[in-house]
Amino acid sequence: MKQGSYHDLVIIGAGPAGLAAAIEASAGGLTTLVLDDQPAPGGQVYRQIVQNANSRSARGYLGADYWSGHELADAFARSLAELRSECRVWQIGKDRDVFFSQHGKAQKVRAGAVLIATGAMERAMPIAGWTLPGVMSVGAAQTMLKSSGSGADGAVFAGSGPLFYLTVWQYLQAGLTVRAVIDTAPARLGLRHYWLALPALLQPGLLLKGVRWRREIRRKTRYISGARSVGIVGDSRATGIRFRDARGGELTIAAEHIFIHQGVVPNVNLTMATELDHRWCPRQLCWHPRTDIFGQSSVAGVFVAGDGMGIAGAGAAVLSGRLAARRILAGKNGRSSGVPLFWRLLKFRQTAIRPFLDTLFTPPQEWRTPEDDTTIVCRCEALTKADVMAAIAMGVSGPNQLKGYCRAGMGRCQGRMCSLSVQNLIHDHTGVPEDRIGHLRIRPPIRPLTVGELAALVDEDASE
Amino acid sequence: MRLNRDRVIIIGGGIQGCAAAYFLARRGQDVTLIEKDHIARHASGVNAGGVRRLGRDLVEIPLSLASMDIWQSLESDIGVHADAFHPCFYVKVALDEAGQKLGLDRIDSLRKAGFQHECWLDDADIRKRLPHLSCRTRGGILVEGDGWAVPWRIVQGFAAAAARHGASLIEGCRVLNLEFDKECWQVTTSQGLFEAGQVVNCAGAWAADLARQAGEPVMPLSAHAPMLAVTERRRPILPAVMGVLGHTLSLKQLDTGQFVIGGGVRARADMQANRGEVAIPELAASMRLATTLFADIASAPIIRCWSGIEGYMPDNLPVIGRGSKPGLVHGFGFSAHGFQLGPGVGEALADLVMGQQPRISLEPFRPDRFEADT
Ligand SMILES: Cc1cc2nc3c(=O)[nH]c(=O)nc-3n(C[C@H](O)[C@H](O)[C@H](O)COP(=O)(O)OP(=O)(O)OC[C@H]3O[C@@H](n4cnc5c(N)ncnc54)[C@H](O)[C@@H]3O)c2cc1C
Ligand SMILES: Cc1cc2nc3c(=O)[nH]c(=O)nc-3n(C[C@H](O)[C@H](O)[C@H](O)COP(=O)(O)OP(=O)(O)OC[C@H]3O[C@@H](n4cnc5c(N)ncnc54)[C@H](O)[C@@H]3O)c2cc1C
Repeated sequence: MKQGSYHDLVIIGAGPAGLAAAIEASAGGLTTLVLDDQPAPGGQVYRQIVQNANSRSARGYLGADYWSGHELADAFARSLAELRSECRVWQIGKDRDVFFSQHGKAQKVRAGAVLIATGAMERAMPIAGWTLPGVMSVGAAQTMLKSSGSGADGAVFAGSGPLFYLTVWQYLQAGLTVRAVIDTAPARLGLRHYWLALPALLQPGLLLKGVRWRREIRRKTRYISGARSVGIVGDSRATGIRFRDARGGELTIAAEHIFIHQGVVPNVNLTMATELDHRWCPRQLCWHPRTDIFGQSSVAGVFVAGDGMGIAGAGAAVLSGRLAARRILAGKNGRSSGVPLFWRLLKFRQTAIRPFLDTLFTPPQEWRTPEDDTTIVCRCEALTKADVMAAIAMGVSGPNQLKGYCRAGMGRCQGRMCSLSVQNLIHDHTGVPEDRIGHLRIRPPIRPLTVGELAALVDEDASE
Repeated sequence: MRLNRDRVIIIGGGIQGCAAAYFLARRGQDVTLIEKDHIARHASGVNAGGVRRLGRDLVEIPLSLASMDIWQSLESDIGVHADAFHPCFYVKVALDEAGQKLGLDRIDSLRKAGFQHECWLDDADIRKRLPHLSCRTRGGILVEGDGWAVPWRIVQGFAAAAARHGASLIEGCRVLNLEFDKECWQVTTSQGLFEAGQVVNCAGAWAADLARQAGEPVMPLSAHAPMLAVTERRRPILPAVMGVLGHTLSLKQLDTGQFVIGGGVRARADMQANRGEVAIPELAASMRLATTLFADIASAPIIRCWSGIEGYMPDNLPVIGRGSKPGLVHGFGFSAHGFQLGPGVGEALADLVMGQQPRISLEPFRPDRFEADT
């Protein structure tokens, strides 16, 4: 074991949750190391925040919320916590050994406590034609804007959800033209939406922002709401998008760039591979690691914070990061931690809008399980809905057994993209509740690690 | 109606249990196979699929050769789809003097015992067969016609063939207790009580527990989890299954172009959670050997590592034979090399159940061979 490879706290992820936890923990005297795969801190929401500081135009079109991340990044820079960028964490081993690969070499650090703050990822969108060149996720479209200040002109956006409207708005602010926005959220709201909006009033800023984005989008683009049966058309690349509008009319809009989105889900690869307990969240239709309010998972010394716990947004991510850091500090100092009631209230206020948003933007069934038999479900192995259904019909008990029958989830993404869709198809076909069907067993390495990189791990150990 | 005494219960839906079920059902026996999870869920479904006679313990060779006969006739005789088995050649090379000595001594002792299936090749011959090899060797051992199989499909194939011959397969059913009562075995399971005249214990890493329940002397079986890694697809460069003399590496390239690396290194088996752990760093030594053999492999991303729970015996030889209680037959403890043996073991277990003399001597695998030590 090399000297200096031990840290009181190792945090995976330099988004708002990870940064906030690092600031708090290092101020409390813990030696803190943050590992992140991006070239700079910020996570998804504040991607490239430090680099964009000097760009007045980026400040303008990315919006005030984006810009507010600068304070966090500054505070982190002033803290004693250490950041290592471009590190892909691929396994948390026994006794909190954290393995990652950086610049072509596999390495290991040891941790007193581990905080998994790996954030969210976009839910896969198995609609007809989603794998054609020219189709991208809205998140990827936003990443282009944040990291290189560029985007595609004349694109069509299809989908719904906060990130969807935000990105369209940012494209418009950046002066890019948007050919059309095809909204798949239900055209008319049900009564329960209004009830759920009551607690959401505790976060009035967010509600207002949503209204403002939508108004501006309606004003500046061709906006179609209540769209159904969305599919991409084109043979070797996308040439357009077809759908039925709220009145049932069939429409096709020609476009070369099509950005689609149906919300985000916790990125559970690392928490699953670390074998933390998870539970099915029926409201968000995805898996959450099981934790207490401080993010303590079912495994001693392993914590979770941020959107990786459950989708709650950047503000809640900061709060959950601080909570986890406080609990870890308290544990280290042999104290029981803090004032749960105060924190509980704060957390309630931070997440008050979620039930409303989750219900309003529930991904439509037809985006979760494809309508057409020929639509690809597992991209890595190029398996269509029909392929997967044929395997399900052979009587599989769950996604893990399904791998044996048809290789869904056996490819390089390890089922990141198809696990929820496959689970959904099994659920539709058998009626077995989703929590009983379970998730694909995620095996390490959860990030690409070459044979050569792993071979190098031995050389290092042997030389000690 | 047949008496329950005529029924044979097989515990465990791995390769041993399913092959035994097939051979018994084909011979008209009333067979019920009970599996706590699903067929091929454990070692038999997730192993490296290496079908090798090469490098077997001398006393295991007759069983391995007998098994190979069945492997050759999988499709014609048993009805297992032939493309689940890919015969090629299996080679273990020497990378240093110690390895070379191991290999030459081995050939010597094989010849003395009258076996001809393994032969020695020099470096030039090896490089002719493996032109993409990136290192020089000091020769190696080769067996023609060994190869690899898709383990899950082979086991499913035996299970389906057994069912076609009338065996009933019960999945998701755990044997909780075994008791011999006058003339019948009382098999208590999570789905109720079964009676049988004979019981075959093919419960893999769990087999010692069942033996204990059945009142057998303690079996020195331990559970570990051998590990494997699979890479992304690469151009075909390796037409054989490979190992290195003196090391536990197993390396092959599937027809998808993916490399499967590992085999010998093992992690902890978590019997409580019913799964093997994965400790990737332990695989590093195998990765180093693989990249020594083929430099090209270094750039291949590993997409998945996994392990399977396997039962080991202190002498690395399986337990195959009649137990001390009437009507109890054991077949377990394959110590990480039982996949190739499976078909042969299934046939031998069927012989034992039916009171017939197996084709080969099972003497080295006697269940009571450890009793003197305990
Ligand atoms: C594509 C995308 C764009 C988003 N954009 C916005 C936005 O503009 N505004 C907004 O309010 N919300 C946005 N969200 C939602 C948003 O992610 C969160 O609310 C917020 O970023 C959550 O913060 P976090 O700290 O939990 O995670 P994140 O900010 O996502 O930070 C997680 C960090 O961990 C890193 N990471 C993950 N796995 C590993 C690993 N194995 N090894 C090393 N590093 C790893 C990630 O690269 C990332 O830097 C976006 C979500 C996605 C998926
Ligand atoms: C990673 C790995 C790589 C390997 N590579 C090779 C190789 O290349 N070549 C080779 O020849 N061998 C290899 N092996 C070894 C080989 O897989 C095993 O020796 C063989 O599969 C053992 O078969 P089995 O039927 O005895 O056990 P298993 O396949 O483990 O089957 C036992 C079954 O019994 C069931 N069971 C247990 N208790 C109960 C109960 N109480 N009630 C009901 N059911 C029960 C279990 O659920 C299990 O399914 C490898 C093993 C592993 C793990």
